[in-house]
Amino acid sequence: MGQVMFIVWRESVEALLVVGILHAWLANPDHGAKRGLPYLWAGVALGIAAAIGLGAALVGFTEVLSGDAQDYFQTAMVLVASVLIVQMVFWMKRNGRTLKRDMESSLQKNHDQGTWWGVLVLVALAIAREGSETAIFLYGLGFGQGGSVPMSMWLAVAIGFVLALVTFWLLQLGGKIFSWRLFFRVTEIMLLFLAAGLLESGLDRLISLELVPTLVDQLWDTSAILDDASPFGSLVATLTGYRAHPSGMNLLVYVAYWLFMWALLKRAGTPAKQVKPA
Amino acid sequence: MTAVVVTLFALGGASLARADDLPTFRLEMNNGKLNPARIEVPAGKRIKIEVHNTGTNAVEFESLQLRKEKVLAPGAQSFVVIAPLQPGEYKFFDDFHQQAQGVIVAK
Repeated sequence: MGQVMFIVWRESVEALLVVGILHAWLANPDHGAKRGLPYLWAGVALGIAAAIGLGAALVGFTEVLSGDAQDYFQTAMVLVASVLIVQMVFWMKRNGRTLKRDMESSLQKNHDQGTWWGVLVLVALAIAREGSETAIFLYGLGFGQGGSVPMSMWLAVAIGFVLALVTFWLLQLGGKIFSWRLFFRVTEIMLLFLAAGLLESGLDRLISLELVPTLVDQLWDTSAILDDASPFGSLVATLTGYRAHPSGMNLLVYVAYWLFMWALLKRAGTPAKQVKPA
Repeated sequence: MTAVVVTLFALGGASLARADDLPTFRLEMNNGKLNPARIEVPAGKRIKIEVHNTGTNAVEFESLQLRKEKVLAPGAQSFVVIAPLQPGEYKFFDDFHQQAQGVIVAK
């Protein structure tokens, strides 16, 4: 439940960020761009529809598949979700800083040309992107795999979204106390841990399908300290990839993952070269 | 794409056949209640656990220790095949109703 809330929260904040910047620009009386607002809201609606469509397609696809085919599909989806998270973190690291400026300059262009379809497409894409990522993550976390979704899960989604609205509002309000930079830095680390959790869960499925060997069945047993079969332990397992009874392969992949992330972070940390306009 | 789906079904069929004549144990999951919550199985043998969701909520049979996850809609049934186990106790739980904790005992 906690993971569902976190994912919905973080993805919604990202989508709200795009909508928020565009809305602030369009609604600013100095720009005389109020005519663009309906296009903005149409883009929002379109993006939400696209995300819901993808979610429904995922659930429908699962119902068609039977037995082991479903296991293979779900394994693939968990691994895709893990890769998507990592890709998203590094995309935001690269583009987060210039996102606002880029959007405003493209808005200015739209404004000068008097067309607002660009706004619609921009917003629809942003929401569809975040929304469909949300759908894939939620699916990876078991959402909808039983053909129906328990009430408590919907509640988690709703709470996550409300939290996102509150966060967005706080960050808009108190730019001095909270900073977007800090928000993204903290949630980045949490997302990388979540991606590690999904990777380990995908690996467990691959081992269970006998596509990957365990190497050593059980390296150690830390269930006395933190039992991954307990409610708290299973939450930690999902969020970090923790295992109380790790196999050799679990540990190997986990260490390799963090070495790879460390290398990527180090590379992303060095300032990117300025691309000169042609 | 079609080829992938066909291959997946073929793979699925292959392991279905493999799972046919294994020692089989029945587990009912009903809105957070497990019946039985303790399953005794022979050690050193592949076994099959048939999971029936007799409740009105979705359930998820999960054991990180056994590396199994299976989500079942209300009324659905499925099975998990478990690789030969060392003697000992292996925990499982319903990830959608976490008070439901069970154990598989291999002897």
